[in-house]
Amino acid sequence: MSGDSELVLIWKDKMNNIDALMLNAPVYYAVDFPVKLEPPFYAYITLKGKEANYRVHVTEVREYEPLEGMMRRSNKNLKTLLYLEEIQEIASIPLNEFRKENGEEIKRVSKYSYGTLTLITDFELKKFRDMTDSERKIYEMAIKDYGVELPFSIVSEIAKAEEKYDIKNTELKRIIDRAVEIYKKRLVDPYEAVGIVGAQSIGEPGTQMTLRTFHYAGVAEMNVTLGLPRLIEIVDARRDPSTPMMTIYLDEKTRYSEDGARELAKKIESTLIKDVSDIVTNITDMSVIIRPNKEEMENRGVTKDNIVESLAKIKLKTVVEVEGDNIKVRLSEPSYKNLNRLSTEISALTLKGVKGIERAIVRKSNDTNEWVIYTQGSNLRDVLDMDGVDGRRTKTNNIIEIANVLGVEAARNAIIYEALDTLQQQGLSVDIRHLMLVADVMTQKGYVEAIGRHGVAGQKESVLARAAFEITSKHLLAAGVTGEVDELNGVAENIIVGQPVTLGTGAVVLIYKPKKR
Amino acid sequence: MEYTRFEKARIIGARALQIALGAPILIHIPGDMYDPLDIAIYEFEKGVIPITVKRSK
Repeated sequence: MSGDSELVLIWKDKMNNIDALMLNAPVYYAVDFPVKLEPPFYAYITLKGKEANYRVHVTEVREYEPLEGMMRRSNKNLKTLLYLEEIQEIASIPLNEFRKENGEEIKRVSKYSYGTLTLITDFELKKFRDMTDSERKIYEMAIKDYGVELPFSIVSEIAKAEEKYDIKNTELKRIIDRAVEIYKKRLVDPYEAVGIVGAQSIGEPGTQMTLRTFHYAGVAEMNVTLGLPRLIEIVDARRDPSTPMMTIYLDEKTRYSEDGARELAKKIESTLIKDVSDIVTNITDMSVIIRPNKEEMENRGVTKDNIVESLAKIKLKTVVEVEGDNIKVRLSEPSYKNLNRLSTEISALTLKGVKGIERAIVRKSNDTNEWVIYTQGSNLRDVLDMDGVDGRRTKTNNIIEIANVLGVEAARNAIIYEALDTLQQQGLSVDIRHLMLVADVMTQKGYVEAIGRHGVAGQKESVLARAAFEITSKHLLAAGVTGEVDELNGVAENIIVGQPVTLGTGAVVLIYKPKKR
Repeated sequence: MEYTRFEKARIIGARALQIALGAPILIHIPGDMYDPLDIAIYEFEKGVIPITVKRSK
């Protein structure tokens, strides 16, 4: 797409029209509304009027006239002919990401509308071709003299040092010589048993970790799982960590104002009905009575009307009556079972704030001098949606949530970060590559998988490898009945068969090399 | 071609076995060298062992 925020056309259409368009594109399409945009442009089609589901490339716009082979949006009032070059199904974009010409959000599209879509494109990734001249010089020197492609981070570090300390050419040569030497030493040979090495390198420091939950240093009154329990939690890929936490960074506007940060924290912190009132179940007339606590309500900025409003969310059929200070919720049809359900449902109702976030604490960050919100409880999706939050730096310790909201690659990074962080807090240093391997293995199928007692979740391919570990006869019998084939690729099966394993020396194939004459 | 440490070990190992079983030595060796493994390492360093590795792609 040319330009970041071009005006685009959005219209609503029926599924069968789109199906036909997908089959016939490129095609002329007659629509029953005027189009003021100059072709070529992109247009979006929405199915339900809430999110854009298809993108079309329009290359021609003209007045309506009957044409052979054209398609129609409706049967009457046709006004414009669009030539649709291409139609693509896209990952749906919520319509509120489009802005009307007056800057407002688009809420719904019932027929057609215009809007601009601003794409976030100022995110910069440093790429190869972006190397500065001095970096390129170092990079090419290493290739020419040693045949080694140094990693970008090392190259840029040397380049920085070269500038800072005004290094002479001969000295630079020696620095590169040392860098290449150390780099080569740290490289892993092909067929190295990295998994075993990684397991031991994480396992040994693991024995030195504490088994207890501690208070998090610096942030008052927040309980955080640390040490071995946390590491197990990460590797287990639990749906919810035992102490979910978020670190919410703020955007430029609110970052340096304490009041702004506190206000946002108040908005994020969720208040339940049970936080501001007593809930009493009255069995005699099948009702639940809510007795609001005025002091608490004032503290949290909630009114009685808020409570009454939120009661509309209850799924059971109820009658709500306000009796002085108290609120009475009566079941329409008496039932003990439903009464019990009602009282649990009422106590779990959220009055305000982000669901799942129990507490929000505002702290000043030590190194950047900005205000940061730390929370107990995590809800990444809703927090990222809030104004004033810097979504790029905001993080949570719930890895599965990250996978759902931001994708597996983000989850992979989170696993590495969380595991490294837990180990470092205990004063243990583990090479990051071991953790990267763990994270890679856990996420390589496209979703987060646990590593448990049996290795990576999911079945092992080889029958013999499975039989070697617990319930031997069951696996062998099942394999015999179904006629499974063992390719003998893994370690365990090759040992059973009595062959060298395909690792290290065992993976090398020797051939005879006749002497050159 | 540079050998990895596994390949080096494998080549020297195979050659040492040949020498131990009585294969003729391909190069003049120092007079106080008797161990087949030492001889194989010596030969490897001089680059005279007629063995190489086949690497999978």
